[in-house]
Amino acid sequence: MSFEWPWQYNFPPFFTLQPNVDTRQKQLAAWCSLALSYCRHHKLYTLDVMEAQESPVFNNKKIERKLSMEAIQVVFEELRKKGNLEWLDKNKSRCLVMWRRPEEWGKLIYQWVSKNGMVNSVFTLYELSNGDDTEGEEFHGLEEWMLLRSLQALQTEGKAEVITIDDGKGVKFF
Amino acid sequence: MFSQRIKLFKCRSSWRPSSPTWRSSPANINRTSERAPSSGFSFRKCVPPSELTRLPPGKVFGPEMLGVGDFYYELGVQIIEVCLALKHRNGGLITLDELHQRVLKGRGKYAQDVSQDDLVRAIKKLKVMGSGFGMIPVGGSYLVQSVPAELNMDHTVVLQLAEKKGYVTVSEIKDSLKWEKERACHVLDHLLKEGLAWLDSQAAGESQYWLPALFSELTSRDVTPEEANQMTP
Repeated sequence: MSFEWPWQYNFPPFFTLQPNVDTRQKQLAAWCSLALSYCRHHKLYTLDVMEAQESPVFNNKKIERKLSMEAIQVVFEELRKKGNLEWLDKNKSRCLVMWRRPEEWGKLIYQWVSKNGMVNSVFTLYELSNGDDTEGEEFHGLEEWMLLRSLQALQTEGKAEVITIDDGKGVKFF
Repeated sequence: MFSQRIKLFKCRSSWRPSSPTWRSSPANINRTSERAPSSGFSFRKCVPPSELTRLPPGKVFGPEMLGVGDFYYELGVQIIEVCLALKHRNGGLITLDELHQRVLKGRGKYAQDVSQDDLVRAIKKLKVMGSGFGMIPVGGSYLVQSVPAELNMDHTVVLQLAEKKGYVTVSEIKDSLKWEKERACHVLDHLLKEGLAWLDSQAAGESQYWLPALFSELTSRDVTPEEANQMTP
């Protein structure tokens, strides 16, 4: 299914950080939503800020408008405040994009586990993200760092425990 | 504020016309609400010939004569609802065309048809009730204002200028209206402040001021669930 751009994407002023506070608030909300949708659609989990500037999401070649570096940083800061983004380095050049937060992933995974009567079973991380059994599930193909965080979120809820299996990591569900 | 107005409009009027003329005509037999004739309506078709002699010669029949019925109250409610639903996009300014399009869509196939004349009448009544509604003539039609943003003649004339392309620049204002730069900037700042215009500083040459209400690509786009989620309560 092709990605559906919101109306703002073809509206030239959308790429200028608005001077009016209320309008800017609306604008940033729309940008956050667009950035997350785009990442979700393309299953992107990390973004490089320099590359982002040239990505279609922040650079609409058709109308010849793009978000400035400053504006991109503002959008990313908004995402960070909402818990959807985490910087990987102090220079803020690369970030993790959590279009679904770890708690939300954890919930999905646990639902699948209990639905299939697999509570009290042990899985390797690989089995969860790449096993045949999970094919078709939304969390299939989830990157390891994200999977780990999701399981850790479940751990704090007492629903799972991250363990070591051989020389890798695994999880037991309760 | 608006919910109170909607409640007001939902109180149905029990008024019925004293003259039997409209009610007995075949076209109106099953209608419970009365409606004023619009410019395309044939009065003669509705009134039986025998009744025509009773009507005072030379008198113009308009809504004031026939009075207000449920039709315009209901239409008023619909108009308010459409404007509220889109206010987050256009700041409370919408073209009559788009309003008409959306009202028709909301009424569905079997509802009574609604013309732009009907909308204009309904809005005039809303205006009289002090609802913050207003109409600004632009490009042969109107922009309907549904929030009480203070718009004076200067603002109106700039909106009219912006109607052609959906945006306007300081130079265009200076050239067309022969204004000083300060006056142009003052108006544009006000439109930005009221949330009616957005700034585009990447346009070639000079900044452009765009109005979502006049953005043609937007008029046929429905509000998506994602868009609705972004709306601040």
